[in-house]
Amino acid sequence: MQEKIIEIKKGIKLHLIKNDKFKTNLISVFITRPLNREEVTKNALIPAVLRRGTENLKTQEDINKQLENMYGSNFNCGIEKTGDNHVIKFYLESLNDNFISDTESLVQNSINTLFDIVFNPLLIENKFNTEYIDGEKNNLKQIIDAKIDNKNLYSLIRCTEEMYKDKPYSLYKYGYSEDLEKIDAKNLYEYYTKVINESKIDIFISGDLDSNQIENIVRENMNIKKLNDREGKFIVNIQDSENINNDKVNEVEEKMDVTQGKLVIGLNINNVRKDDKNTMFRVILYNTILGDSANSKLFQNVREKAHLAYTTRSTYIRPKNIIFVRAGIEIDNYQKALDIIKEQLEDMKNGNFTDDEINNAKNYLYSSINSIEEEQDTEITYYFGQELSQAFYSPEEYKKNIELVNKEQIINIANNISINTIYFLKK
Amino acid sequence: MQIIENTKVKEKLYIDKLENGLTVMIIPKKGIRKKYAIWGTHYGSNNSKFMASGEKEITIVPDGVAHFLEHKMFEQEGGTNSLDVLSALGVNANAYTTNDHTAYLFESTENFEPAFDELANYIQHPYFTDENVEKEKGIIGQEIMMYDDEPNWVVYINAVKAMYSKNPVRLDIAGTIESISKIDKDILYKCYNTFYNPSNMVLVLCGDFEPEKTIEYVKQKQVNKEKVGKIDRIYEEEPEEINQKEIIKKMEVSIPSFIIGYKDKVVTNDIVKRHIAVEIILNLIIGKSSNLYKELYNSGLMLQEAELAYEFTDNYAYIMIGGQSKKPKEVQEYLNKEIENMKKSGLNEEDFKRIKRMIYGDYVKEFNEVGDISRMFLADYFKGINSFDYIEEIEKIDIEYVMSVFKEVFNEDKQVISIVEPLN
Repeated sequence: MQEKIIEIKKGIKLHLIKNDKFKTNLISVFITRPLNREEVTKNALIPAVLRRGTENLKTQEDINKQLENMYGSNFNCGIEKTGDNHVIKFYLESLNDNFISDTESLVQNSINTLFDIVFNPLLIENKFNTEYIDGEKNNLKQIIDAKIDNKNLYSLIRCTEEMYKDKPYSLYKYGYSEDLEKIDAKNLYEYYTKVINESKIDIFISGDLDSNQIENIVRENMNIKKLNDREGKFIVNIQDSENINNDKVNEVEEKMDVTQGKLVIGLNINNVRKDDKNTMFRVILYNTILGDSANSKLFQNVREKAHLAYTTRSTYIRPKNIIFVRAGIEIDNYQKALDIIKEQLEDMKNGNFTDDEINNAKNYLYSSINSIEEEQDTEITYYFGQELSQAFYSPEEYKKNIELVNKEQIINIANNISINTIYFLKK
Repeated sequence: MQIIENTKVKEKLYIDKLENGLTVMIIPKKGIRKKYAIWGTHYGSNNSKFMASGEKEITIVPDGVAHFLEHKMFEQEGGTNSLDVLSALGVNANAYTTNDHTAYLFESTENFEPAFDELANYIQHPYFTDENVEKEKGIIGQEIMMYDDEPNWVVYINAVKAMYSKNPVRLDIAGTIESISKIDKDILYKCYNTFYNPSNMVLVLCGDFEPEKTIEYVKQKQVNKEKVGKIDRIYEEEPEEINQKEIIKKMEVSIPSFIIGYKDKVVTNDIVKRHIAVEIILNLIIGKSSNLYKELYNSGLMLQEAELAYEFTDNYAYIMIGGQSKKPKEVQEYLNKEIENMKKSGLNEEDFKRIKRMIYGDYVKEFNEVGDISRMFLADYFKGINSFDYIEEIEKIDIEYVMSVFKEVFNEDKQVISIVEPLN
């Protein structure tokens, strides 16, 4: 596996990943902008509108028929928050030409179709189609309202909001209902033009492909030719705990009609120098030992010993340098669970973990690093993550860095960790 | 060892039955780093009532035993837990229980052999004690409660309940907090000895394997057990009719979710062909390029493409159309009107060809990832299907056959609706 990066225009990169393991090619376009309150809802609306029709395929039905004819190519789009960036994502997955009997090239057709959707939207009198805008505004409103439906996710979102009050990272990736009223076919198209002309664009193409041929197809595409050089401003994802008042733990309880209580604890990692790239690897190990595998302290103590939870784990949010600890528990067991979790944090501080635990965690991490190239979307996500953090490690270098971490360094991380917020969703 | 090749997806299946009765399937994938192993028993949550081979009396166990066993199999003598051992080796291990089978799996990029030794060891050596059985009740209790909070799960299980009045498919796979409280180690051993006999089990391996060598290696890891004869799986007789037309449940959600279900009859012949036909029909009726979907989307009645599914074993079969809508009942009306019209007008030849092409592509994509491939071969095997059959049958299927299945299955007297709606 190797990634070849080609600058198509200033601010527009083509990433080619040659990999012959799959029966499919995966093509994606990521448009990245710094997160902010004014744009967040509009960004969420854009992919929804674009998938409705292009100048060539005027309706969703036309697009879908075309995809079905292309041996069921899958189109997908969405919006993600990565650190303090908002990323509009488009994907098209189609069969590699080796598995079809047609003479025409499915890969060329796929690249052109995806670019058509992203860069060549259906316009009526120089603005978006009003019917599509109205429909998608209603749709997005319902998605925003549906924030409460998945209680696990909701509690995580709420804990994030508490930790990053009034900061960009607290923003909900789908935006806010009240912003929708102001959006219409004209001003959204104007905004879209700005986005397409100014934003950082990354195109990833993965599969069993001839790099020169693919580069050519991309460069010769009419929609790509139309694009200009741009600054492509984005927020480099570095270890930045810019948060949040940490004098005293913020404890939040919220009530909803739930059977099980959802506990989320947000941890800060303090005293990190921004230019110190080694910290990341140390925190990754800390987090794995604390709660990221079946051998972890949380799984062993909260689940296996105290039988308080079925799911309990910790997750390291690298771009923000924070950790979330989560557990689904009986509501009455709140204090018990919290005490046990705090004990685990103390144990980490005091170095109460063995060399075996460190080695197990390292093995676990090697395995997930080895798996990166085994799935096309994982591979793309890995390289895009590096693009946004501007830190480039091959999987082998990544493993090397993990290998170098020692116990003392993990203890040092543990002693710089503090609880920022404890959020509990209960009945 | 038998070799079955499929030239369209360019894959081979090596299949063998070992002396102890275990079926082994190997799908070699050259140059892939990940190796996947899955070992399953043809025993799931639906099998709470059975007659073990050689016995004359029916055994009835509490609901949720198959899933409980799945949790407890990792426990080893001396207090070690195989899940910990596997994690320490850096492999990703897991297990799951369905209505008709239970499976133990891991995926590795290194340490395949020590991990496989552990898998083979814990599956063939159960260790249940009163104490370790008791402790699991708390954990599984939380698992059950977690699902109770998930609207998607609730709307699904209620749809099945609406269709089925007797078949255990209508029950939670994990059982209930009440039913699992009655489980003890003797029950677990009884079910283990009945269903975890190699002759009732299948092992599937996918990755960069040399099949001849690998099969010899697998043989060395076998514990010889006395082969068992036929196990009688007993199901109460399920009427052809649905149980109830609708189930509506209120939960704290923002928008209703719904599933429209059709109860199908269990067939024994042409199951693959029937499955493909149902998939084609569902796409023609309400797929992403259908007139009906366009209408529902444009009128704001549906937010995104419907989820379409056909589920079946040898004791149940049903179809599901699911989604979110402010007015699920209106979606149902639109659907029924469309189905009546399509029955009259017949299926459109061009649409039919396009959907066939799409489904062919979907089937080929199933062969992308070692885990997906392994799980597919395992699940299909327990249904009596070789997964390659789908690739072959899709080419052959014709519009007349699809039309006949359409008329037979999609009838309102077999239709139910399950809705989860907001509290107020």
